[in-house]
Amino acid sequence: MQRSLFVRQPSVLIFIGLLAAFTIAITVLSEGFGLGLVSTSFIKILGKTLCLCLVAIAMDLVWGYCGILSLGHFAFFGLGGYMIGMWLMYERTKDIVIASLAGAELPATAEEIREGIGTQIFGVVGGAEIPVVWYFADSLWAQLALVVLVPGLLALVFGWLAFRSRVTGVYLSILTQAMTLALSLYLFQNDSGLRGNNGLSGLQNIPGLTHLPQAVVSVWFFLASAFALGVGYLVAAWVVSGKFGSVVRAIRDDETRIRFMGYPVEAYKLVVFTLTAVIAAIAGALYYPQAGIINPAEIAPIASIYLAVWVAIGGRGRLYGAVIGAATVSLLSSWFTGGQAPSIPLGFYTIDWVDWWQVLLGLGFVLVTLFVPKGIGGLFDRLVRKDAS
Amino acid sequence: MLRIILVLLTALILVAPAHAQQSDFNTLLETHRAKIEKPSRTTISPVLEALATSQSPGVAVFLEKWREKQLWQRKADGRFFYVEKADGGKLKLIDVDTGAEAGLAEQAELDNLKPNSGVRAMIAAKLVQFQLSDPDPERRLQALTALERDANESHLSILRAAIEEETDPAIKARKVRLQLLLTIKFGSDSANRVAAIRSFAGDPGVDARAALNPLLATSVKVFDTAPEDVNVAKILTPGSDIEQDAAYQLLVDAGKARPIVPLAERKQALIANIKDGVVGGVPVAELVTQEARDRAYLALAATGAVPPLVSRDEQRSAVANHVFTEVYAEPDPALTTAARETLSDISTTVGLYQFADLVLDSLSLASIYFLAAIGLAITFGVMGVINMAHGEFIMIGAYTGYVVQQIIPNYTVSIIVALPLAFAVAFLAGVALERLVIRHLAHRPLETLLATFGISIALQQIAKNIFGTQARPLTSPSWLDGAWVYNDVVSISYIRIAIFVLALAFLGLLLFILNRTRLGLEVRAVTQNPRMASSMGINPDRINMLTFGLGSGIAGIAGVAIGLFAKVTSELGSGYIVQSFMTVVVGGVGNIWGTLAGAGMIGSLQKVIEFFNPSNTLAAQTYMIIFIIIFIQFRPKGIIALKGRAAGD
Repeated sequence: MQRSLFVRQPSVLIFIGLLAAFTIAITVLSEGFGLGLVSTSFIKILGKTLCLCLVAIAMDLVWGYCGILSLGHFAFFGLGGYMIGMWLMYERTKDIVIASLAGAELPATAEEIREGIGTQIFGVVGGAEIPVVWYFADSLWAQLALVVLVPGLLALVFGWLAFRSRVTGVYLSILTQAMTLALSLYLFQNDSGLRGNNGLSGLQNIPGLTHLPQAVVSVWFFLASAFALGVGYLVAAWVVSGKFGSVVRAIRDDETRIRFMGYPVEAYKLVVFTLTAVIAAIAGALYYPQAGIINPAEIAPIASIYLAVWVAIGGRGRLYGAVIGAATVSLLSSWFTGGQAPSIPLGFYTIDWVDWWQVLLGLGFVLVTLFVPKGIGGLFDRLVRKDAS
Repeated sequence: MLRIILVLLTALILVAPAHAQQSDFNTLLETHRAKIEKPSRTTISPVLEALATSQSPGVAVFLEKWREKQLWQRKADGRFFYVEKADGGKLKLIDVDTGAEAGLAEQAELDNLKPNSGVRAMIAAKLVQFQLSDPDPERRLQALTALERDANESHLSILRAAIEEETDPAIKARKVRLQLLLTIKFGSDSANRVAAIRSFAGDPGVDARAALNPLLATSVKVFDTAPEDVNVAKILTPGSDIEQDAAYQLLVDAGKARPIVPLAERKQALIANIKDGVVGGVPVAELVTQEARDRAYLALAATGAVPPLVSRDEQRSAVANHVFTEVYAEPDPALTTAARETLSDISTTVGLYQFADLVLDSLSLASIYFLAAIGLAITFGVMGVINMAHGEFIMIGAYTGYVVQQIIPNYTVSIIVALPLAFAVAFLAGVALERLVIRHLAHRPLETLLATFGISIALQQIAKNIFGTQARPLTSPSWLDGAWVYNDVVSISYIRIAIFVLALAFLGLLLFILNRTRLGLEVRAVTQNPRMASSMGINPDRINMLTFGLGSGIAGIAGVAIGLFAKVTSELGSGYIVQSFMTVVVGGVGNIWGTLAGAGMIGSLQKVIEFFNPSNTLAAQTYMIIFIIIFIQFRPKGIIALKGRAAGD
């Protein structure tokens, strides 16, 4: 099986090799572990980009291979972030509360500590009670399990409902978008129990590791993200290369025919949808500790559409295409919107990229869809074909 | 000739008695001069009474000037005058009676009378009597409005007297209503008040409820035995009607039980009694649970160092030995019963009106959704593509309206110009989008969705770059300001009525185009079977282009309509896009009636959820979307699904 995977997906070895080389190079150049040529903030950007590449792989699996244009995978990504964020915020606040109560005449009781945590976290939304959804927030393992379980269950239930009633094509896209919107609107409420539009913050401070400088922690997260991306790529390649993958691709190309051949199309779709939701959630759980803050705006429907845009630009139906698309667009995006791109003076008007990047992205995206339907990844295909001939 | 004589005679008759009273008024003022000079709250009443009963026509003006500190007194003879500024720093005296000029005077020869605020309030109260029967209906209305806002007991009799003289039926009705309200509030006779209360049965007015509700104000009181001499609203059962702790706290407040020592105080007491790291025999380091703290506190209480705790059993028995009742502040049971029954009657009526109001709101929202979604529905139905940039066509329409208003300052004209112009601009943008992008992505609906999304973000950002991020106003003409108010519950703003009419007009127009014109025939043919249509000589490319333009143009019109009540920003359209998708999906594709049904359902659903949860519109939207997701389970093709070959994809 192992052999056949690498034979069928030659890109896996190349990709993992490149990823490993890149990771080692960046680690050596980092401030935390090596020469200090790469700044900590840039390490964080790279780490976050790797997470985005991972969620793009999930998106490519569900869209490029299974033909489901989900406009909801960033919601799973955000949910994963929320789940890990609850633990990070709770434990960190607990440390702060215990430290502040340490000087008191009487040692603090468990109730007093809980009350302190409640006031600290939920004071901004006018509450002091710790909501029920935070029941497991003091346990890292429970929250790690929830990172997988909550988005996984949501995807399972939603997918079951949607596929069962044979919602397909653009209908399904709109339905997933509706789900995303509903989730983000729900989280925007103050009484959702997740701090409304304030979201969860201070996530970059890892409880128990606060004595380490961010320069070191950021490299750890960078390495973890790279590892997750490598494993994710491997899993995705394995899924699409076997018989399962053949059926999934066949569903994309002609769903009705596969159904008539006796395959349980809905079950296949549901498995892919749920699996990719879980991958997205794991990516989110790694992303938000590096971003430091998560709020409902991150889950807004537009984020999921951007995700589809990355995959489309990178090239659908090719796992490396998704990675290339996500990395290129998100890095370019932060370069342009960060104000680092030089303005172009036209004499009568100066093009400031902070203002015009969105226009460039939108139109560029239209051009890619029109003229390079296979995306950047499609260019590799041509190279390979040339070599072969 | 005869007529002239008659007029002269009438004038004489009217003038003569007024003339006779002038001297009366002068003498009257002379009589009360001392008290008018130095008025005080205690002495002023009889003077005001005497002035009011004198019936002199000058009294109202006199009281007004007096209250506004515009009354002057000549030091020489103590006579009262009004003054006006004259040349040379002098003051022109005006006779209090006749209003005629009475010569000039230096300012030093006069005193300005400045009654204190208490006196002025009493004068004002007296003035109401005159204002309520003022010959000018406008002033009577003003006085009534002032009374409605703030009245006291003394006004009741004045108002009653004023009702009889009232000739204007509308003002009279208002006076009667106000008199009833004041009777409820200040009336002395119980039967009268009950009758006044009952007269408001089924009245949805806010003022009626505002008058009745205070009568039903209650407070919770503790008695040793069942009380008899108070107006009891309800006997409370501790544990179900009232919390045990709250009941005990009432006992403590009434001095009938020992106070509980609160947690925080107990903690302070523990801290105060720490001796050598030990408190109450327990080492401080062990006090990490509430149980250990309680142990230490009990030990301290046993030595008498701190007040003892009240045990749960003691609390419970103390509560059980007393009667807790909700007592009306109003002692008369007849009044409270009448008020309760009338209010419940009112609430039934209000409920009905609220339902009517909800229906109006839903219709209004549905018409907005219809306008926003119908263009999308047409293009989706004909071409099978989702246009993510549809929201931006709405935005383009709204900005077109804004730009037109910058050029044409007259709001009415500018709206009339803006509507067709917005249609034209959005139409052209739609045709351009179709020809340049969508045509090349035929039969790839998902790519079309994403490509139009690219257009959408580009258009949004371009609008942001041109018009800035701040909201731009699109002002409606003044005849659309305000609202149609049926009563205190049912009302709807004119803008929303206009949008409703606009939606109806477009419904009619589209039905006409699709069912009665050649274009409509071809559009329907392409919707049902594009290949068959093209083999019948219809050019599907042309039809696609025109339909897309038409759908976009209507979005432009919707933009102007939405801009009238919402601020115009670059995100205007994206706020409506998801709702528009929902409308199309729920309604069913390619069918105007379907979109209408979808818009109606989503609009009314949203309003109904908001009605039950008014403080939280976010939750309303969340529930609505969840409902739609479930709805799709049962009707995956929407409310009105196309049948036959067209339904296949």
